[in-house]
Amino acid sequence: MQPDAEDLENVFAAVEAFAERAEWPMKLVFQAKLILEEMALNVINYGGVEGDEPIGITLKTEDDTVTIEIRDAGQPFDPVKDAPTPDLSLELEERPIGGLGLYLVRTMVDEMHYRRHEGYNHITLITRRLA
Amino acid sequence: MDVTSQRTGGALIVSVEGRVDGANARKFQKAVESVIEDDDGAVILDMEHLSYISSAGLRSILLIAKGLQKRNSQFAVCSLQDAIGEVFRIVGFDKIVTIHSSQGEAVSAMGS
Repeated sequence: MQPDAEDLENVFAAVEAFAERAEWPMKLVFQAKLILEEMALNVINYGGVEGDEPIGITLKTEDDTVTIEIRDAGQPFDPVKDAPTPDLSLELEERPIGGLGLYLVRTMVDEMHYRRHEGYNHITLITRRLA
Repeated sequence: MDVTSQRTGGALIVSVEGRVDGANARKFQKAVESVIEDDDGAVILDMEHLSYISSAGLRSILLIAKGLQKRNSQFAVCSLQDAIGEVFRIVGFDKIVTIHSSQGEAVSAMGS
């Protein structure tokens, strides 16, 4: 994916094509798109990627397990440890306007792994909800 | 993403179709805010034809809701598809935004 939100459209089209071949249920297609958007936009908006180095995205599906791998050249950022948990109990007027994206991702995956290697963030997300 | 609007039973109904994501969420928010008039006391966002929303879109809805609350206008959403209803629940939006199952239900609850 190019480091530009406008490229989401191509990512979504690729996910849909992959999901059709793999016969994913609708809900999983929605979740895969959401996970990829949240992770990619986090890199684009906050990762400080220089130039136009693409964000690497890999989808794998095997039996009931879906694995999503994301590789980016942004600042070191460990979404497993560094992402804040939003306070969902606040009333409307007190709610801050950000911080929900990575929280959504965390609720939708069974495993999240982070590794920093040779200047890249490598994030692996695994979900076993292919029903 | 398309936004259309109509006024029924004292409420402004704004319908959104397609996808609200990180590429168009600001445009979506502006489109909704631009159809709201000062004397609209009740605004319903009809999401029947919304197929996808991400945190960027939720942020826009939160900002729209906050803006309406400041001017003491009512705000509700209706007709959420299953996956979107689940996203609303996960982030606790069901506690801060009124959700109706249909447009008719929303209008009769809010219209005057």
